[in-house]
Amino acid sequence: MAGPMLRRLLLLVAAVVLLAGCGTSPLPDDFPADPDGTLDRIRADGVVRAGASPRPGWVEVGDGDPTGREPRLVEGFAADLDAEVEWTVAGEEELVRLLEDGEIDLAVGGFTEANAWVSEVGLTRPYAGTHVMMVPMGENALQSRLERWLDESGGGQ
Amino acid sequence: MSPAAEPGGSRQHFGHTELPPSQAHALRRAKRLEVVTLLYMTSAVAVVFATAGSSQAMKTAWVEDTLALVPPLAFLVAVRFGRRRPDADHPYGFHRSTGVGHLTAAVALLAVGLLLAVESAMGLVRAEHPPIGTVHLLGQTFWAGWLMVGAMVYTGIGPFVLGRMKLPLAEELHDKVLYADADMQKADWMTAAGTIAGVLGIGVGLWWADSGVALLISLSIVHDGWTNLRHATSALMDERARTYDDERPHPLTRQVDEALTNLSWVEDSRSRVRDQGHVFHVEAFVRPSASHTPTLEQLEAAVSVLRDLDWKIHDVVVMPVRDLPDTIPAPD
Repeated sequence: MAGPMLRRLLLLVAAVVLLAGCGTSPLPDDFPADPDGTLDRIRADGVVRAGASPRPGWVEVGDGDPTGREPRLVEGFAADLDAEVEWTVAGEEELVRLLEDGEIDLAVGGFTEANAWVSEVGLTRPYAGTHVMMVPMGENALQSRLERWLDESGGGQ
Repeated sequence: MSPAAEPGGSRQHFGHTELPPSQAHALRRAKRLEVVTLLYMTSAVAVVFATAGSSQAMKTAWVEDTLALVPPLAFLVAVRFGRRRPDADHPYGFHRSTGVGHLTAAVALLAVGLLLAVESAMGLVRAEHPPIGTVHLLGQTFWAGWLMVGAMVYTGIGPFVLGRMKLPLAEELHDKVLYADADMQKADWMTAAGTIAGVLGIGVGLWWADSGVALLISLSIVHDGWTNLRHATSALMDERARTYDDERPHPLTRQVDEALTNLSWVEDSRSRVRDQGHVFHVEAFVRPSASHTPTLEQLEAAVSVLRDLDWKIHDVVVMPVRDLPDTIPAPD
C-alpha cells in the first residue's frame, strides 16, 4: 500500500508544481493566436475597426466620433497598438452581426457580462465591475491583448 | 429486511457465501479505493468546472468526470445490497444488484455520450471558434488555457493510478461493475491528454482542434456505454457465466460437468451455470450409471464437490434424471 500511495502523492505534487508554474510563465505575443488573424491585421493596417452603440454614461454619440468612457478606452487600446480607430455607430444587434461577419474588430456600448449575445460573440473579462467589450468569437490573440490592456489601464477608472 | 448480521464481526459476505481471506481482503481494498475514487473525482469535477470556460473539449471532459462517479457509487451500493442474505421475498438473495448497477452505469454512459457527440459535431459543422481569453490571478494576467491544461493534468493522474489498482481486484472478486469502472479509468488519461491537445490547439489558432477532440472523447464514451450495455443486459438475461472481463465463458461452467462426471456413480452430466453477480447459481442434471439410484449421501457429496471447486459456486442444485434434458444445449 505504501508504494502506490507514495507514487500518487508524488504525481499530485508534480501537478501542483505545474499549475503554479503556469502562473509565472510569460505569455508570448503570438500565443494564443487568432484563427482569423485579427490582431495581425490591426498591426499591419494600423486601424482598429470599432463599433459603438449609444449608452448614457458609457458611450456618447453626437456629431463626429463617439465619446465617453468606453470610446476613450478603445482609443487608448488602439494607441497601444500604434493604430487609429475607425468608428461604426449602430444598434447592439447590428454590431453583433458586424462582429460575426468580421466587419469590425470590437464593440462597446455599456455592455455587461449578463449579455445575451454570448453564443455569437466573444466577451472580454469584465472591467469596471460587470462591463465587457464584444470581440469576434474565438479571436483569442485580440481578446487576450485587449483584456491585458484593460487590466493595465484599470478599466478607465 | 435488515442487512445480514456478520458473525465474527469483520468477515465479508456475499449473501450467505462467506468470502475466503484473499477475496475478503480484496473487497475491503476495493471499497476503500472506490471511496478514494469518489472523493478524487468530485474534486476533479469541481476543478474542471471552474476552469472549463467555453472549450467544448473541457465541457465534455467535465461530463465524463461527472459520469465517472456513477460506477463507484453503483459498486458500493451493489456490494452493500449483495451482502444481504436471502429472505422469504428474495429466495435467490440480492446478488443481482450488481447487474442493476452495471446496467444503470451503462445507460448513463451511452445516453450522455451520444448527446455530447451530437453537440461536438454541431460545433464542427457550424465552425464555432471557441473564445479563451485571459485570467487575472495573484496579480498576474495569463492565458486561461494554461489553467485548463493544469486542471486536465490533475484529472488525468488520479484515474490513471486508481484504474490500475482496481483492475486486479475486479478479477479477484469477479465483479463486473468494478471491472467496467477500472477499465474506463485506466483509459481516462487519454481524455485528459486529448483535452490538453484541444486547448493548446485553440492556443495556436486551430479552432477545430477543440470540437474535434470533444467529438473523439464523446465517441469513446459512447463506445464504453455500448460495450457495458451489451454485457450488462446479457448477464441479466442469464447468459452462461463468463469471466470478469466478459472475454470468454467462465472455466467453471465446464469444470462443474467434469467434476460430476468424475464421480463413480455418475454416467453423464449437463448443467446450467448463471452469474448472479459475484456468485454463480448452478443447476446440474446427472444421469446415474445403469439402473443405479443415488443415495441422499451421494447427492449431498456431489453438492459439496461442486462447492469445493470455487468460492463463487454458491447456490447448487444437483438433480438425478433418467435422461439428460434436451432443453439444455450441450456446451460447445
